[in-house]
Amino acid sequence: MSIVLTVFSVSLISTILATLVVLADKVLNNYGECEIDINDGDKTFMVTGGSNLLSTLASSRIYIPSACGGKATCGLCKVRLGSEVGAVLPTEEPYLTKEEIDANVRLSCQVKVKSSLKLYIPEELFNVREYKAKIVRITRMTRDIKEFQFALVNPASVAFKAGQYIQVVTKPYANIKESVMRAYSISSLPTNNQELEIIVRLVPGGVCTTFMHEYLQEGDELSLRGPFGEFYLHEGGDTLVFIAGGSGLAPIKSMVFDILRQKLDKKLIFFFGAVTKQDLYYVDLFTKLDAEHDNFQYVPALSQPDISDEWEGEIGLITEVVGRYITDTADMQAYLCGSPGMIDACIRVLEKAGLSQADIYYDEF
Amino acid sequence: MRQDPRLQMIENNMHQGVLATYGFLGSDTRSLADVLQADQIAVHDLGTDHRALATKMRSFTAAGLKALGVPVTVNRLYQVTVEEFKGSIPCPFGDNYQARKVLTQVSSPTKTLYWSDLNLHMIEEHGFYEGIGARYRIDPRAIAELLEEEADRR
Repeated sequence: MSIVLTVFSVSLISTILATLVVLADKVLNNYGECEIDINDGDKTFMVTGGSNLLSTLASSRIYIPSACGGKATCGLCKVRLGSEVGAVLPTEEPYLTKEEIDANVRLSCQVKVKSSLKLYIPEELFNVREYKAKIVRITRMTRDIKEFQFALVNPASVAFKAGQYIQVVTKPYANIKESVMRAYSISSLPTNNQELEIIVRLVPGGVCTTFMHEYLQEGDELSLRGPFGEFYLHEGGDTLVFIAGGSGLAPIKSMVFDILRQKLDKKLIFFFGAVTKQDLYYVDLFTKLDAEHDNFQYVPALSQPDISDEWEGEIGLITEVVGRYITDTADMQAYLCGSPGMIDACIRVLEKAGLSQADIYYDEF
Repeated sequence: MRQDPRLQMIENNMHQGVLATYGFLGSDTRSLADVLQADQIAVHDLGTDHRALATKMRSFTAAGLKALGVPVTVNRLYQVTVEEFKGSIPCPFGDNYQARKVLTQVSSPTKTLYWSDLNLHMIEEHGFYEGIGARYRIDPRAIAELLEEEADRR
């Protein structure tokens, strides 16, 4: 009898304590209605406090770039605050420079909305939307690169600049219990605004690329967010040099096709670096483009071709090949997309050839 | 071995699908504390330490990175290929370290080992070589054997 009474007492006390915790949470964490003021009144709206700023903004259809979905592991969701929200958290510190901290820049996923807030974001983010899209075609390009073609369902069209990127929101699969978001450059033309094409290289063990390569099927629906990014054609430059490796080809493809479509009076040279012939893709597409346009030159280069490749094109590291071609950098701009190692090495080559850093734009992995 | 709550939280981050598709523990049924202790003993028995092993491994990665994906020969014995992939991955130990997705493959005449930038960091800072059966598990004895091949040639 005493055992039953003891168990009952402990259960009763536990229940009372749990109820108190729930009630305390509701009372203490009830921040009520808070006003969000973006860019000094450009956009103001009321939200219910208590969630992080990133998700609070997303629920009001303001999408700040984020690749990790609010886990403070990507450092992309920076916003400048005009309100005081307390000290920078240890989780934010690795992603913020001293200048950013002084300017009250914070990771929006780490800022809890507890009162009305003023914040500043680039105006372009007002145009970012969430899209429902259907996979219409998956094409294998190389041993580890696939092209994904999406048809937009709702909204049915998107406005973006060639070179920008979108975020793919995955669904839980296999042992992956949560959705994740990852950024991929758009490889299709902005004029084809009812479809989006991206190029994804499989990262061994990567959560999103494994989903894309091994689980996604034609006909599946996904959410996409975007467009984001400042890697697009800038003013000036009579000669434009494009350099890419791997899936870095994606934004370059969109930019090259867009420039040629607009018949801009510019000379374009596109260097694509790979190790062997089996790492090349879109060769026929760009070779045809080269033949059709006097102002476009396509230079694929292999750093270590197999004998069986019977390769007659350029041989060497992409930096060596670029160095051989680029001698006069007058009125030139360069657009680079690839691994940090490749980009750093190419920047050194271009600067050595006389190109100023201000004329080099890059989109680093 | 009894595991403190902080280590238990880290172990939770290491399961499949939390930070990486395949996780960091593989089929290992031991606690994280036991995994760390076993490898600590193995490294001690080898007469070296985690930092020294990681430093040697890092030198291979650095040599391969310069070659932009092309295999290079290091010390006239090892064939090294480094591939860079898009994105980064956080260290499961919660130290705010973001590892770039860089994979190094080192082949000697007798064996081939793979490691990621995150492996290098976790070995160097946490003495963690991943659980048995994990995709990027590197047995410290295998690293030592790989390095000894060069010493044996001298």
